[in-house]
Amino acid sequence: MAEGDESVAAVSEPLDLVRLSLAEHVFVKLRGDRELKGQLHAFDSHCNLIIGDVEETIYIIGDEEDDDTIRTVKKTSEMLFVRGDSVVLISPQTQ
Amino acid sequence: MLFFSFFKTLVDHEVTIELKNDLSIRGTLKSVDQFLNIKLDDITVIEEGNYPHLSAVKNVFIRGSVVRYVHLPANAVDTALLEDATRREAANTAAQKTR
Amino acid sequence: MSETGAATVDDSKDPSGFLSEIIGASITVKLNSGVEYRGELQSVDGYMNIALEKTEEYVGGQLKHKYGDVFIRGNNVLYISQD
Repeated sequence: MAEGDESVAAVSEPLDLVRLSLAEHVFVKLRGDRELKGQLHAFDSHCNLIIGDVEETIYIIGDEEDDDTIRTVKKTSEMLFVRGDSVVLISPQTQ
Repeated sequence: MLFFSFFKTLVDHEVTIELKNDLSIRGTLKSVDQFLNIKLDDITVIEEGNYPHLSAVKNVFIRGSVVRYVHLPANAVDTALLEDATRREAANTAAQKTR
Repeated sequence: MSETGAATVDDSKDPSGFLSEIIGASITVKLNSGVEYRGELQSVDGYMNIALEKTEEYVGGQLKHKYGDVFIRGNNVLYISQD
């Protein structure tokens, strides 16, 4: 089966990096100044994701025109589906 | 296909859908299609921006492309099963490419 | 600028030929948002999804983050250049 020759070539295509992060903790950067940290339980080729024990950080830039202070809002979720089209970057968390 | 199948297992469960315009809608998942369009029943709108015009609406059809997140009931999700299904799907798409 | 230089190295190559040729090289990826990632190119696919190693994130030219490995979703990519 394909599973055999797949484990030989560890990172032959970019999504292999995500595959190797399955069941591990990941950092995800999304469009709209949002970041997620949590355990990766599922993904597909569109980068749709399911992440468990998620902490979301939203960066809100000052609403006045000359105000560039950044406020952060944190939210948590037990189990979250993320639609792939919002995903910018996925990185395995090493710590 | 993976997420379509997954969402079908969540039919009749309560979910909260956060849209890309920051609107959040909670309701009972009634159906899903291959585009991950979703039908919700018995909805309530989470008051963040105040959307009073939706207070009379009982059910909605949400186009998949406007969804940012779906908050899921953790107890209805078998994570080990999901991880296995993801590995199988990844192996399938890899096999398709080398064909 | 450097892109004209790259083209004269081998102008028989198509763009994806360029990408497979620079695997393992040190590259800069600029995203539509303006954020830049500098690292070693591990792999690219047809969607321009990218895997980078030893990655540094630059926002407005300033180093903001370091990552071991990153996967970048291709639709966000503005350009890829060899350092």
